[in-house]
Amino acid sequence: MQILYYIVLVPMVYIAFAVFVIGIVIRLAKIFHEPVPMKMQIFPEKRPAWLWAVYDTFLFPMVLRRKPLLWFFLILFHISFLLLIIGHLELIRGVALFQVIPHEVFLGKGFVGLILSICLLYFLFRRFYSPVRELSVPEDYYLLVLLVLTVFFGSEMDWARRWYYYDSVSVENYRAYFFSLLIFKPELPYEITSSGHSFMLVLHIFFGNLFLIFFPFSQAMHSFLSLPMNKLRRG
Amino acid sequence: MDDKTRADLLRLFQGRLNRAMKYYLETCTRCGVCVEACHAYASMGQVKNIAAYRHELIRRIYKKYFKTRGKLWPSLGEARELNETAMDELYDAAYSCTGCRRCMVYCPFGIDTQMIMSIAKLLLIGVDRSPEILTLLADTSIEKGKSFELFKEGFLQGIRNLEAEVVEKWQSEAGATAIPVDVPGADLLYVALAGAHSIIPAAAVFNAAKENWTLSFFEAVNFGAFMGDPTRTQLILERIVNEARRLKVKEVCICECGTAFRVMKQSASSQPFKVSSITEVHARYIREGRIRLGKTKHNDLITYHDPCQLARNGGVIDDPRYILKHLADNFVEMAPEPRLNWCCGGGGGLVALGEETLDFRMKSSRVKADQIRKTGAITLVTACENCHTQLSDLNDHYKLGVNVKFLSSMVADALMKN
Repeated sequence: MQILYYIVLVPMVYIAFAVFVIGIVIRLAKIFHEPVPMKMQIFPEKRPAWLWAVYDTFLFPMVLRRKPLLWFFLILFHISFLLLIIGHLELIRGVALFQVIPHEVFLGKGFVGLILSICLLYFLFRRFYSPVRELSVPEDYYLLVLLVLTVFFGSEMDWARRWYYYDSVSVENYRAYFFSLLIFKPELPYEITSSGHSFMLVLHIFFGNLFLIFFPFSQAMHSFLSLPMNKLRRG
Repeated sequence: MDDKTRADLLRLFQGRLNRAMKYYLETCTRCGVCVEACHAYASMGQVKNIAAYRHELIRRIYKKYFKTRGKLWPSLGEARELNETAMDELYDAAYSCTGCRRCMVYCPFGIDTQMIMSIAKLLLIGVDRSPEILTLLADTSIEKGKSFELFKEGFLQGIRNLEAEVVEKWQSEAGATAIPVDVPGADLLYVALAGAHSIIPAAAVFNAAKENWTLSFFEAVNFGAFMGDPTRTQLILERIVNEARRLKVKEVCICECGTAFRVMKQSASSQPFKVSSITEVHARYIREGRIRLGKTKHNDLITYHDPCQLARNGGVIDDPRYILKHLADNFVEMAPEPRLNWCCGGGGGLVALGEETLDFRMKSSRVKADQIRKTGAITLVTACENCHTQLSDLNDHYKLGVNVKFLSSMVADALMKN
């Protein structure tokens, strides 16, 4: 069992990050290497186009107009996702900038994970109804299921510490583990692999790894492509 | 489908994979925001008319042949073989899409369905399955460009026959030609359609504005663009470009044809002349006081249908409204905003296919008919040949009781002596 834990927590993390970073770089390089397309603009135009493209990319005004409920969950999801990334960075080491609003690590008092879980379940269940059901392909479900599993197991660790006073694994233990990975001297503190919640961490990292590996080859690439695409539409 | 055919088709496919196309094929999350965007879906409720469904047909083939993922784990994205059945579906998708790009406005990423459908149309050309009428019309246009001397005399004779009618609308100065053709050094080259209705009113307005203009030998419409054939589109376009360069005109003015305008406009940046639509030119004449219009003839309620290629995709939005302000007091907007106007349902070559597509055109444009009816207008104005034909068909089919008119004809009819 310990060997399995080790594989998921150390080599697989390295592989996942390598695929994630190299995959994204290669995919983007290939796309941006293609010749610049002709004008694809939609009118009426508004200037400056780049500012409106930013507006479209981050606030999706047309979704708000057409599908307000979806928009609500989308905005909530993306904001929570951003907070989640910040939260994980803080699990590596404290960052003064993020403490502008003082908070305990992991930020959000457990609610970031809860909101993400609800949003993901909404995204998943709306695919069960026509006509989105007919539009969906398996990867749409896989991606959501993968995220749901990652977020569930990750949040449970947070919830246990925050809401149920579980204290066998502390933030310092996570930091020791993450930091050791970062400096390529992987270490697995006893608490990480042998406490009652270790299986959650292992499953969280396992599904997280799968998500990272899948990311560059999936529609998740819209995180990078949405802005240039919206710029193209704005002219 | 044999392997060689498939390989040839995939080469055609690959040729269309520029940066924008890759964006479009990689990013769709199938979120379903585009569901209500398509007039055909809104009118008929069939899933196959949803924009994302249309592009997924192409995307599945893309995954199969252009992505490692599709080879290792095809079921993941339902990657799909390119075969006869796929081609049947592509035909349905490509020739039920009018290329109006309303869905592009809805999409959070701005995916251009028309552009993705251009791959479908190109593959159909590759297996000789483009609609015969379009192919024939496109090839006739190209042929006319090649052996233009053969057509010249007949064309000039036809034009001379129209001149009396132009003069009836506007008496030009003594000695001036009512319809000048082949004038080197003219300021403006007017590219019309093959039809008196596209030439006579326009000529009257040019003469009234004392424009130094000349009529093109060629018709504006680009059937190559309807077919989605880049080569034919280019050949048809070049006839006009060459003529404009030969005559050294400063401006090429495209008649009321949305597609022709957009195709010409897109190539304009590399040309020594400016490209305008006749609507823009008429608005300019009014602004500069070169023509004067009388309002008396249009007392009833008027509405304007924004042709997709002219407005949403071409940017000519304010000018037609400016012109209408000089023609009538009772103007009512059709859509809450022009970029969300419903397509007439006749674009993308569907009108050119005539009777063959009539049933689908009528059924798929129910929302357009409802939109027109809701305005309560008596006169329905537009500035595109395709839209005009389709709107007239809708008028008959849905018994809308409107008068469908060309904006340019209304301008010509309202001309007043200074």
